[in-house]
Amino acid sequence: MIPPRALVVWCPDWPVTAIGLDAAAPAAVVSGALVEACSAAARASGVRRGQRVRDAQRHCPELVVRERDTDAEGRLFESVAAAVSGVTPWVEVVRPGVCAIPVRGAARYHGGGADDEESLRVHVQDTVVEQGFDCGAGIADGLFAADLAARAGEGGVVVPPGETPAFLAPYPVSVLGRPELTDLLGRLGIRTLGAFAALPVRDVTARFGVDEIRAHRLARGLYPRPPAPRPPLADLSVSTEFDPPAVAAEQVIFAAKSLAERLHEALAAEALTCVRIGVEVTGADGRTLTRLWRHDGALSALAVAERVRWQLASWEPQGEDGQEGGVALLRLLPDQLVADDGRQEALWGEATVSDQIARAAARVQAMLGHQAITRPFPAGGRGPGERLVQVPFGDLPPEPAAEGPWPGRVPDPPPAAVHPEPLPATVTDADGAPVMVDARCAVSAPPHEVEIAGRRHVVTAWAGPWPARERWWDPARARRRARFQVVTGDDRAHLLVFEGGHWHVEAGYT
Amino acid sequence: MLPVLHEVVPEGGLRPGSVTVVEGSPTLALALTAGLGERWCAVVGLPEAHIPAAASMGGDPMRVLLVDDPGRRWADVVAALTDGCALVLTRPPDRPAPQVVRRLTALARRNGCALVVTGPWEGANLRLRVEEGHWSGLGTGTGHLRGRRALVVSSGRGAAGPGRRVWLWLPAPDGTVAPAAETPETPVRAPVAVAG
Repeated sequence: MIPPRALVVWCPDWPVTAIGLDAAAPAAVVSGALVEACSAAARASGVRRGQRVRDAQRHCPELVVRERDTDAEGRLFESVAAAVSGVTPWVEVVRPGVCAIPVRGAARYHGGGADDEESLRVHVQDTVVEQGFDCGAGIADGLFAADLAARAGEGGVVVPPGETPAFLAPYPVSVLGRPELTDLLGRLGIRTLGAFAALPVRDVTARFGVDEIRAHRLARGLYPRPPAPRPPLADLSVSTEFDPPAVAAEQVIFAAKSLAERLHEALAAEALTCVRIGVEVTGADGRTLTRLWRHDGALSALAVAERVRWQLASWEPQGEDGQEGGVALLRLLPDQLVADDGRQEALWGEATVSDQIARAAARVQAMLGHQAITRPFPAGGRGPGERLVQVPFGDLPPEPAAEGPWPGRVPDPPPAAVHPEPLPATVTDADGAPVMVDARCAVSAPPHEVEIAGRRHVVTAWAGPWPARERWWDPARARRRARFQVVTGDDRAHLLVFEGGHWHVEAGYT
Repeated sequence: MLPVLHEVVPEGGLRPGSVTVVEGSPTLALALTAGLGERWCAVVGLPEAHIPAAASMGGDPMRVLLVDDPGRRWADVVAALTDGCALVLTRPPDRPAPQVVRRLTALARRNGCALVVTGPWEGANLRLRVEEGHWSGLGTGTGHLRGRRALVVSSGRGAAGPGRRVWLWLPAPDGTVAPAAETPETPVRAPVAVAG
């Protein structure tokens, strides 16, 4: 995929500018004993990045040396970003000294067509220079190439669409900013991006890791990261304060619902949606509990409120004396913002839920709570009740079930009714003695009669046992069960289970 | 609806707004939910209903909504789900009042939803029950349940008229629903394999 065209504004030697040193005077910004950045005049005297300060001073005795101030770099660059946002509001600050804007929207805003990229480039450059900052501006396919284009020529160039790989080819591999890879490729005789890009993708993926594969994509002009611009100053988080602190969980949950609605509206106004939502609960005692909740797209206010409820449940037991309890502040933070294309893709490869179904389910959730309406998903297990998990509507389904084998699973067809609570039963043999199953799964006598809910039925056919010895490695949760199928005189079929000396009816086949 | 059930459900199937009462056979009730194709069904108030059984008869478990415990909001839940689902399978917590019956029937008709009820209901269009059943596959300590030949009897108003009696495999040995002979000449016997 060819990345969308981006314009990058690059202010040279930004750490030096931020400290207020003139580019004409030889100056260097250091951190520790190494030079981090230097002015053009210092560079002309032989000062380089990464040099030891003492070596730099040997090259340039009149060098002014200052400690690096990253706060000032960020603060001062805000004025550059603000100037650029006069052209388009979609400014992404890559790092202090470098910011990017998408070309498409900006060119339209600027009034020109796609062929007017040069005039846009000059316009942006002039805008920044008018603020008193030296800068270069470049346009290319993708941020990486645009960054290099901003440094090329006199104050930047425009790389025509599709020519990015050719533009990148002569650059040394070191511009990828991966010293180890540069070293390795150098020893392989690969010194330029063009040579690196010429390596077959298959071989690169076979030999290298994820990071190197990304570097390879960069070198081919394919880096798929579009500028992820956000309008400046748009803090989309919403919060509410409780004064006095809310003691009842219901009060917090109710507030969470209306907060979620506000968040929903704010996101919709920006045509954004979020993949995860962060819930931050601050107690009256100053404790803060933050959780990220993932959501598969249906960001309903009720679902958010329900997650706040779960979070509060994990919160309350910690208030030992119960005196300083209560929630003082609740904040919802949208996380991983993505453009809202109207519908999120279903994560498990099927998008069957229509709006109408979602609406009906939401109405039921409004009446009975988030967990009251569920969808069944297959799960692994031996008993019929274990072959299914019910997931609240709108939540992510569990990981796909393990595909067996499940030795001891009762063969199909599956029963039509699985009792939520197994019904107690008594099974007796022809002499009226209880039928037992021993540790070796031997049945004491053929079952003759079954008593279920006070009614006695003659057994006409039976089979079993299907033994299920589960979690034998965990004494606390280990279970040994034996299952039987029986048909009774009234033509009904049951699934019985024997465990710990007692019989239960687990399911019915009627 | 499953084509094989047309024998017992007259007029080409479950019509929107129609109420079908199924007595005593969860399998038959689930069979009615199985033939919906791309449309959804909801199961309200039957926590024991086992969806894999419907799936083996041809239903799509990904298009099922389950409300195990509607409690006192039963009527409201069913009313909400008729808008969107093609079929709602439900058991009322107790005999519903006539005005509730009228309201739900009217909503179901308007929204194009059929109701299948396993429980008390006044004025159902169709009543289905299994009058007789014969399980096969199970011996004395051998085999496993394979299928059941069931005599399904329908009765109802109008065209359903005097009632129909149809023998079906419910379920068939492969888990589906299939037509069955009235009396098998050679009863299906269990295979020799011993369970366990």
